[in-house]
Amino acid sequence: MLKYLVKRVLWMIPLLIGISLISFFIMHLAPGDITNNEAAFNPKASEESRQKLRELYNLDKPVIVQYGLWLKRMGTLDFGNSFASHQKPVFWQTTDKDGNVTKGMIQEALPITLMINILGLIITLSLAIPLGIIAARKYTLWQDKSITLFNFIGFSIPGFWLSLLLMYWLGVMNNWLPISGLHSINYESLDTWAKIKDSISHLILPVIIPSVTGLAGITLFVKNGMLDVFHQDYITTARAKGLSEHKVVYTHALRNALLPLITIVGLSIPGLIGGSVIAETIFAIPGMGKLFFDSVLMRDFPVIMGILTIGSALTLIGNLLADLAYAWADPRVRRGVVRN
Amino acid sequence: MTSCGKPNQDTTDYTKTFPVESGGMLIDATIGEPSGLIYMVAGESAAAAISGNIFNKLLKYDKNLDIEGELAESWLISSDQKTITFKLKPNLKWADGKPLTSEDVLFTWKLVTDENTRSPYASDYQLVKKAEAPDPNTFSVTYDKAYAPALDSWSGLQVLPKHLLEKQDIHTTAFARNPVGSHYYKLDSWTHGENLKLSRNPNSVLGPANIDKLVTRIIPDNSAQFLELMADNIDSMGLDPIKYSRIVPARPELQKKLALYKELGNSYTYLGFNLKHKPFDDIRVRKAINYAIDKQEIIDGVYLGLGINIASPYKPGTRWSNPELKPYPYDVEKAKALLKEAGFADSDGDGIVERDGKPFAFEIITNQNKEREKSAVLIQRRLKDVGIDVQIRAIEWASFISRFIKTGDFDVVVLGWGLGLDPDQFSIWHSSQNQPGQFNFINYNNPQIDTLLEQGRLELNPDKRMKIYHEFAKVLLEDSPIVYLSAGYGLTAIHKRVKGIVSPAPPAGIGYNSHEWYIPEQLRRAETGRNEIAEK
Repeated sequence: MLKYLVKRVLWMIPLLIGISLISFFIMHLAPGDITNNEAAFNPKASEESRQKLRELYNLDKPVIVQYGLWLKRMGTLDFGNSFASHQKPVFWQTTDKDGNVTKGMIQEALPITLMINILGLIITLSLAIPLGIIAARKYTLWQDKSITLFNFIGFSIPGFWLSLLLMYWLGVMNNWLPISGLHSINYESLDTWAKIKDSISHLILPVIIPSVTGLAGITLFVKNGMLDVFHQDYITTARAKGLSEHKVVYTHALRNALLPLITIVGLSIPGLIGGSVIAETIFAIPGMGKLFFDSVLMRDFPVIMGILTIGSALTLIGNLLADLAYAWADPRVRRGVVRN
Repeated sequence: MTSCGKPNQDTTDYTKTFPVESGGMLIDATIGEPSGLIYMVAGESAAAAISGNIFNKLLKYDKNLDIEGELAESWLISSDQKTITFKLKPNLKWADGKPLTSEDVLFTWKLVTDENTRSPYASDYQLVKKAEAPDPNTFSVTYDKAYAPALDSWSGLQVLPKHLLEKQDIHTTAFARNPVGSHYYKLDSWTHGENLKLSRNPNSVLGPANIDKLVTRIIPDNSAQFLELMADNIDSMGLDPIKYSRIVPARPELQKKLALYKELGNSYTYLGFNLKHKPFDDIRVRKAINYAIDKQEIIDGVYLGLGINIASPYKPGTRWSNPELKPYPYDVEKAKALLKEAGFADSDGDGIVERDGKPFAFEIITNQNKEREKSAVLIQRRLKDVGIDVQIRAIEWASFISRFIKTGDFDVVVLGWGLGLDPDQFSIWHSSQNQPGQFNFINYNNPQIDTLLEQGRLELNPDKRMKIYHEFAKVLLEDSPIVYLSAGYGLTAIHKRVKGIVSPAPPAGIGYNSHEWYIPEQLRRAETGRNEIAEK
């Protein structure tokens, strides 16, 4: 088991280098660089100034040389500084000689996105699992049909449209919830309790809306998993033994039906880190999706590479954790692993 | 502090007049967060909007767009027009109480021209051969030859404090996020991705402003911004024509609390020809297209009437704009006649004119900008009327610049020019400025224009300079290297609680006296950040 783990972790290194190499070249395939965007059409900004910028950023060198420079910096885990955002460190904070701390861009954005998406995932799962079970138990009855209908309405509604509608209804027509942002303007002056209330009220819409629109997939998954399990022999055996229906469903069927969910959660890890450009833009949330989108538009190469590298590293770790969790949950897999 | 359950019913009467009083908080919104507040290296408009409240310049434009002193009390131009000597106002101070002297100005100049400084705006200041600060109140600059846009350039350079930035790396310094300036406001806090809060600077060199606090919220989505404005959580935002002329007027509750302002922006949209490509080298073809396009239709259809026709590349109503020039009228017959004269005729009867057997067809490219795309569609329709087959392509900005503009690989563009307040447009029209990456990418080459542009740069007398640029605009209009499509209005909504705004807007725009705006105490929002009127 330990050997397997070490092997998997070591494998990540060449994998990450490969991912970064491909990302780096694809990024440079897109025409333009930061100097096209920084004051591109300002007659006051001369081409010489921009050429100078290009040299200072090493953008005049061949792509492979630029990649070498990047990789060399990465060797010391230095993600570099953003071109577009006043040389802010890409990943983690730096302290200058006077003790001023400049926070890293990913350091600031990642916790916000992770918090919103993990809360969203918890809500999705805690709704989808009961809904899926009900739909499976009442298969083809009205309960199943109405859950399916509800899910597909949620699935079909564009998130941004629902967001704007709810922002208008809850924020403008009724003063129930804040419209956008993470905190009120007077947040600092509130006491602890009011701060918590303020943060929660700002998070309600951005967390709930993606959960509702994302409900359909997982509910369907749970429902189909349950239906599959219901047809297994051991369920028939359990029923034949005279176990209560409750025990059959929640002890025997559910545990097996939920196994594939581990994979689903594992697969959703890149999404947890990535964040959503549209939701973050509408709700004015400074998260990872918005950061990545802006960096691409600005051709802010160090930030793009930083996000891709950290994103792929976390994804690989997430996959590993999902595999381990699977092995932990399912003895059959565990035995397979040991044999390997 | 949250739910109250009742709809927002605001019964305050905002139309009453109140005496001027100081205090209060004004909240506005920006779609982009500034990268830093040192404008010379930050460069983007979001940074300019906020750093402009924190830092002073030597000179500024007054409400009629004439230059006046800001930090400078007076300035003297030497008889050979090569040296400008600025006298600073006495007893200037930084917000931290340290004296502001000509040493700071000299330091700022050295910084912006330093070859390690990554500033896109250095070129104006690199023309200064010698800069000196002989005494704490005097700053002088000497140019190799007279440079008329110099005064304008000194109205653009925000003066930075030497005592805080000396020996700092301008690109990484914490000062960019924690600046100390000398203007009306100082930065109190900056919450990444959320807001920047400014409060009055007690040492402001121009005296105190009326409004106590300025808060800028970062709200990237325009619709969300408008919802915040409707819910009274922000006081002002820029509007698009639909919101300005349709949505706000149709809602009494918005009309009651929002005042709408329109002012001519410093920009215009145009259709530009690649003059190296045939047949756009032929003036008759360019004029034909100019006559064939109905500019009023574009203004009405795309900008809902909120724009004007222009005939020169200057803001109408300012001294540089030649009032005698008239835009090309919409005239299909003239367009057809000119095309015929240039050798184009529809010989095969397919509705498209040909010359030497080749149909007249081209592609208009533009960046992904709704107004420009819509304008291109209207142009496509009108040009079809005179037998020209037009295709349209909209391209993402960075690709647009590097793939098409820099390489000169285009026939016709629809683009806009944002203009400074100085009339010098050497970099846009002079024939020497057509290298890849330079701004004369349409390859305009007219010796008469070159001469006028060179003269205009050497002439510091405003009246003589005006004549030069009036002539320049006249030749340019006649030559038709671009088709002026329209100059749109800048549209702003500001909550009626803000008083002291001059309307209609003077040439400099409504913002020129924002330090005199005030918010009467009775009209202030309860300072919770969210509107609580419904709870009272």
